[in-house]
Amino acid sequence: MCDSCGCGDPKVMPFDVHERILAANDRTARHNREHFHDHNVVAVNLMGSPGAGKTAILEATARALGHDARLGVLAGDLATDNDARRIRAAGILAETITTGSACHLDAEMVHRGLHHLPWRTLDYLFIENVGNLVCPAVYDLGQHVNVVALSVAEGEDKPIKYPLMFRKADLVLVTKIDLLPQLPEVNLDEIAHNLSFVMPRPAMLKVSAKTGEGIDQWVRWLGGIGRPRAACAAAAGAAGAR
Amino acid sequence: MHEYSLVQAMFDQIDAVVAARGARSVRRVRVRIGAQAGVEPSLFHTAYDVFRVNTVCDDAPLQIVDVENSDELVLDQLVLEVP
Repeated sequence: MCDSCGCGDPKVMPFDVHERILAANDRTARHNREHFHDHNVVAVNLMGSPGAGKTAILEATARALGHDARLGVLAGDLATDNDARRIRAAGILAETITTGSACHLDAEMVHRGLHHLPWRTLDYLFIENVGNLVCPAVYDLGQHVNVVALSVAEGEDKPIKYPLMFRKADLVLVTKIDLLPQLPEVNLDEIAHNLSFVMPRPAMLKVSAKTGEGIDQWVRWLGGIGRPRAACAAAAGAAGAR
Repeated sequence: MHEYSLVQAMFDQIDAVVAARGARSVRRVRVRIGAQAGVEPSLFHTAYDVFRVNTVCDDAPLQIVDVENSDELVLDQLVLEVP
């Protein structure tokens, strides 16, 4: 007997599901994270608008860090493998995840992408998400940190226009600062101010992939993330000390 | 426009429930969408109306419960027609 809507139809009954709609994605993301943990790979989800400079940042990262650490990239794009080709030309491993019409990467796409990359040998796996300040923020991929690239030409108010993306960010890279002499109206303090409204722990670095300015700080920030297993061992040690 | 992907994921969930309960069809779908979920309820509704044609949800209206100060996105309840 239906006691939910009062229709009186004996064949109709309510059933409580109470399950997150992204539950399946979250399971795959957890699986990816366990993989990364088991092989001590730091996974970085790099997001930002189309043209924010995500690929250029990875090229600069390859130049600055490629000799000291093993880097790999999964590059998500709706079409073409241009980004992966650019990154490979910079000397690091890269594979494309072609999303077709999808405006974001999900955990399953990343999982499939891993099959095409010798990711177990890496120190850092960068997942270059589809250029978009909305949809990628919703999907957990199994990453350890979220980094958002925001170029100086995009406007200071982007953090408050796209609050979810910036709320999820562990670090915002303000990119293309070499353009600032041509953009006298851009106020970096206002970007920082707007980030302070939406980021739980505001963190911003100013970089130029072109001149290399700020890239050393970015590399230091990456070094400070901590290896997944080292972090785990430290936590276990701290727990044991109590 | 990730709302289409989300609705597709929800249909996978609905299909699993329908199969597990041996239901003939779904009469109503209720979801909870938090204000900070990054999901636009009207787009979610539009995507649902596109997807449900010729499925077990053909006759199932979608009810969206807006939740303040939350990032939840939950398939809350189905009303099922069972044999």
